[in-house]
Amino acid sequence: MPLWMHEAQLLLRSRWAAAALALLAILSAAAVAAGMAEIARQRGAIAAIAPAQAEDIAAVRAFVDRSKDGGQAAYYSFHPTWDAPSPLAFAAIGMRDVAPYILRVRALGIEAQIYDGDTFNPELALPGRFDFAFVLVFLAPLFTIALFHDLRSGECEAGRARMLEAMPGAGRLWWRRAMVRFVAITAALTIPFLAGAIWSGVAIGAIILIVVVAALYLLFWIGLAGLVSSRGRGSTANAATLAALWLVLVLIIPTLANVVINRTNPVDEGAQIALAQRENVHRAWEIPREETMRRFYANHRRWSDAPPLTEAFHYKWYLAFHQNGDESVAARVRAYRAGLERRAAAANALGWVLPSVGVQALLTRLAGTDLTAQLAYQDRIRAFHRRLRAFYYDYVFYDRPFGASDFDKAPRYRATG
Amino acid sequence: MSYGSHRVLDGLSIAVPAGSITALLGGNGAGKSTTLSLLLGFVRPNDGRVTVCGVDPGVEPDHARGRTAYLPENVALYDHLTAVENASYLLALSGNRPSRAAILDAFAAAGLQERAWDARLSGFSKGMRQKVAIAVAWLREVPVLLLDEPTSGLDPQATADFNALLHAIRVRNTAVLMVTHDLLSAVDVADRIGFLERGRIVEEVAATGTERFDIRALRARFGERARAA
Ligand SMILES: Nc1ncnc2c1ncn2[C@@H]1O[C@H](COP(=O)(O)OP(=O)(O)OP(=O)(O)O)[C@@H](O)[C@H]1O
Ligand SMILES: [Mg+2]
Repeated sequence: MPLWMHEAQLLLRSRWAAAALALLAILSAAAVAAGMAEIARQRGAIAAIAPAQAEDIAAVRAFVDRSKDGGQAAYYSFHPTWDAPSPLAFAAIGMRDVAPYILRVRALGIEAQIYDGDTFNPELALPGRFDFAFVLVFLAPLFTIALFHDLRSGECEAGRARMLEAMPGAGRLWWRRAMVRFVAITAALTIPFLAGAIWSGVAIGAIILIVVVAALYLLFWIGLAGLVSSRGRGSTANAATLAALWLVLVLIIPTLANVVINRTNPVDEGAQIALAQRENVHRAWEIPREETMRRFYANHRRWSDAPPLTEAFHYKWYLAFHQNGDESVAARVRAYRAGLERRAAAANALGWVLPSVGVQALLTRLAGTDLTAQLAYQDRIRAFHRRLRAFYYDYVFYDRPFGASDFDKAPRYRATG
Repeated sequence: MSYGSHRVLDGLSIAVPAGSITALLGGNGAGKSTTLSLLLGFVRPNDGRVTVCGVDPGVEPDHARGRTAYLPENVALYDHLTAVENASYLLALSGNRPSRAAILDAFAAAGLQERAWDARLSGFSKGMRQKVAIAVAWLREVPVLLLDEPTSGLDPQATADFNALLHAIRVRNTAVLMVTHDLLSAVDVADRIGFLERGRIVEEVAATGTERFDIRALRARFGERARAA
């Protein structure tokens, strides 16, 4: 039996170490299963869009077919958009937990639709959903500490260190043991992930990258344990010091950094933008309609040759002031977005020095569940909304009748925009 | 040899020839364990020379330790492994891979009861642990054996078993150095006894004739110290 197998036997026969490794494997498997269940639920919700949409549009079609009014069609038709999860999303749910991944939009003002009920704050790696990223970033270090804090001091306290070190190659003994424990803990952590990733069809390159990152993150904690243990104090002192370091590196610094980053990069609440947009829209009822149209045509020359308004209500005015409302908050939207991006950039910068934050950021980036991915989805919604508006404007502004078959001509959201 | 400013061994000179058992006798704190630490390369002398099989253990510890078996003062092994597993692990550490049969033979020679061979060590007495350790030393077949208080706390039968195995080891031309504070245990097995005091050997006696040592005389001269220990 080769020496490393002896060491593995020694480790696994210790009831305490075996229980710790089993617990880590169970937690990792539970997190992978929970993440996969959540993503399956989200996929199910996305798959259910099409049949529901067909039903909704059928009702609108029957109603509008009587008036053939493109304005009514625009007003009553909701068009679904969605942000399909990447195969890897199960491992790091990230923003998919707090930000909508399905949004049904109308050709009316888009910003209020996007920011309605949106109160999320992109956060640093604060404990959130129970997913693989959580187990890796928050829990795995504790198991690493449990297995490494007494690597040598435990043998001293058991009175075996002198005998072990009297053996030839004693220096290599500790390396070999550390290696066996490292492999065991990495396996317990990543085997459930591997199973989930292969099942979910994650690209092999991404799988390898994540396993390597997980292993490097564990090595960081092993290094820390080695550093603390090298001061030659007892196992209890080592464990206490390492637990304190865990608290500081994984909880306290990221939380404080989050506060500092949010304070130094103040942004509006998304809901405030929605409110401002809505107020601007409603103000339109009090100002002369011609002024609304002038403002609209200034920015949308393409429809400026449309027939002028009459006394009667017309949807082109309604759609125009909605669009004006959007444009009135455009600067705030840009500032909000820039603020969020500055926060994310600051958090990512911190990730370069703080492994817990860096690993979390990298995982959500690879999984397409970070703020960048969320903003990209919003951009796709806006692009789709532009196509949607142009489609309806062509009917509404020129009073072209909107028949039953025209519903089928409406642009359809494609997951890529 | 000193720990900081505390001089523990001072002018100690001792040679342990192959095929003999040398006992180093001294009271608590006399520097017995420190002597073994020097031979194992755990500590280095401030001046003077230490050689094990011709090499300096401070310079080439692996070389020296590869030729040395060592039984510490308190034999602590892995409680969650069986006697056979403990032995095969420790032997593997020193690069030996004896068969299970060889291990069992050594256990039998050391006087370890058969029912203990595949039992976990958690229920073992001090004597039983000692037997596992001496069986490991036996199987390593190294030229040097260092023993720290090997029979303290053993019952008479266990002590006799131990001494018998020690003789078998000596016959293989092994150089055995045991350190103890117990005159009787030294007298039982040693070919030579050195009396360690204030960091040096103050007197050396060799076994002669069938009586080996004149216990009465040794007692009279070192009884005070022996009783103090
Ligand atoms: N690591 C150490 N650091 C400092 N002093 C030490 C160390 N080890 C031993 N000593 C001191 O060196 C002296 C000799 O210790 P040593 O352990 O060699 O004695 P000993 O003869 O084995 O005693 P005992 O019979 O109690 O085992 C003692 O005074 C002890 O306090
Ligand atoms: Mg001692």
